[in-house]
Amino acid sequence: MKSWTRNNVSMRLSVLVGVLVINLIPLRAQKDTLRSDKMTTSVKMLGLGHINVLDTYLSPESYTGTDFHYLSHTTYDKIGSNISHQFVQQGSLAYLNERSLRANELFAMYLFSYGWHYNWFFMERRLNLKIGGLLQGHAGVLYNMRNSNNPIQAKLGVNLAPSAVVSCRFKVLNQSFMARYEAEVPLLGLIFSPNYGQSYYELFSNGNYDHNLVPTYIVNAPSFTQMFTIDFSLLKTTVRVGYLGIVDQSDVNHLKFHSYSHMLILGVVKTFNLIHIRP
Amino acid sequence: MKQSLLAFICLILFSSCVVEPTYENSPKGNMEALWKIMDEHYCFFDEKNINWQAVKVRYEKQIDEKMNDQQLFEVLTNMLGELKDGHVNLSTGFDYGRYWKWFENYPSNFSDSLVNKYLGTDYRISSGMKYRILDDNTGYIYCETFENDFGAGNLNDILYYLAPCKGLIIDIRNNGGGLMTSAEELAARFTNDAILVGYMQHKTGTGHQDFSPLQEQILKPSKGMRWQKKVVVLTNRSVFSAANEFVKYMMQCPDVTVVGDRTGGGAGLPFSSELPNGWSVRFSACPMYDKNKQSTEFGIDPNHKIDLKDSDLKRGIDTIIEFSRNLL
Repeated sequence: MKSWTRNNVSMRLSVLVGVLVINLIPLRAQKDTLRSDKMTTSVKMLGLGHINVLDTYLSPESYTGTDFHYLSHTTYDKIGSNISHQFVQQGSLAYLNERSLRANELFAMYLFSYGWHYNWFFMERRLNLKIGGLLQGHAGVLYNMRNSNNPIQAKLGVNLAPSAVVSCRFKVLNQSFMARYEAEVPLLGLIFSPNYGQSYYELFSNGNYDHNLVPTYIVNAPSFTQMFTIDFSLLKTTVRVGYLGIVDQSDVNHLKFHSYSHMLILGVVKTFNLIHIRP
Repeated sequence: MKQSLLAFICLILFSSCVVEPTYENSPKGNMEALWKIMDEHYCFFDEKNINWQAVKVRYEKQIDEKMNDQQLFEVLTNMLGELKDGHVNLSTGFDYGRYWKWFENYPSNFSDSLVNKYLGTDYRISSGMKYRILDDNTGYIYCETFENDFGAGNLNDILYYLAPCKGLIIDIRNNGGGLMTSAEELAARFTNDAILVGYMQHKTGTGHQDFSPLQEQILKPSKGMRWQKKVVVLTNRSVFSAANEFVKYMMQCPDVTVVGDRTGGGAGLPFSSELPNGWSVRFSACPMYDKNKQSTEFGIDPNHKIDLKDSDLKRGIDTIIEFSRNLL
């Protein structure tokens, strides 16, 4: 009796463990694969266009050339939330001439921006309006290839910029498209600048600083960035093509700077949802 | 309210292009562009008592729209010559506009044949400097430029080799300058303390009197080998710019004597700019002063004014070097 009971219990336990193991395998798989509620839209683009650069610390002449541009634009959306944030990085490289073609300058610039937008959706979510703000920064250099003690101008700065994005999904001939327009206007910031006739020798060899960190606002640095793009599918890939315009200006310490860049941009869009897998 | 703010931002953006007035690439346009560049950036108008507006009136009469590049170059170079500044140059593809009277109108007080005789053939060369020990155990360095970055290790090697000498002659005659940092690097071998050697300032605006306060120039002792014996620095009228600064620094160092002729000056750190036709112009931008806040633009007098005598020259003797050897 005892023996039967023990065997019976053992058999029941074995069955129970077996059932649990069988059931736990898919259970574990489900728990270790955590689907994120964040959607990431990553765009990598290359641009080619015309650039016009003036920096009166180096020359009163404007220099022009071809701007080779790289743009990485990532947007993070959270399902169920109207807040999205974005991180944009850009690199620009240009070889420039003045009008007589006797002198050259090299221009290299890195730009980043990070910020948040509040989203509104209309027309069954086909129309999306984003309004928000960005923290923007830039670091670069403009090198005049024949100047003596003022051959180089360092560009360094940060600013706060309101930002607006409008995007609209639509179909033409059964093909899906998305048109998107984005604009930013820096309002307040801080930039590095030598004083009017100050040499970099005084700055870096002698450590003599003179109004070299200058507050900027929309009047002494009226700048503007805009981008208009169209997304469409091509061979199972979403392609983005469009126009990028960067108007970067400042008038500080009696030194004028502008960089007007207008270019065609082309890239690939990837939208994905991160899945976290536990080891 | 929001609409007003948006309208204000749009107004600012579309009406605020940051641009510089451009001049035509014509004789008149280039002349006006050059005059304006100098008017807004040149640093010695008041010091030299120059009425730049009157200069414009005088020279714009000489501009003819039919003149060729050579004729325009001549007029513009003459206009810049009014500044009497060795740092002011007009650079074109066919000529280099200059004012060199600060040394051309004076005896050179230098003979490279004589220097070569003192150096012989077995002298050493490092960082562009030629050096040897003369037969009376005097160290001799000929430094003809500050264009090179000397390098701390190289200066250590030179001074270590010359260390047994009773004294040192640093001959910078005909040194037209170069890097200010090189002049500092060499002078830093001759002081054991941080010393005030002068002042510097820069323009803060377009006006002729828009300058920053004077900033101290402090010569810090080198962390490498430093010379502890007597030094004589040899100068002539061709000592200019960074070499002029070197003399200014050395005059504040202990046991240093300057022998030869007055230096050429050049105490305005030069900047560059350019004209619509692509010609490059260089000009004095940041004035520098000595320890007593006196300008060194017109040169620095030596402690001992010694000229190279013709009679010595014929005998193969450098009067200035021999005078210096007797001081050590």
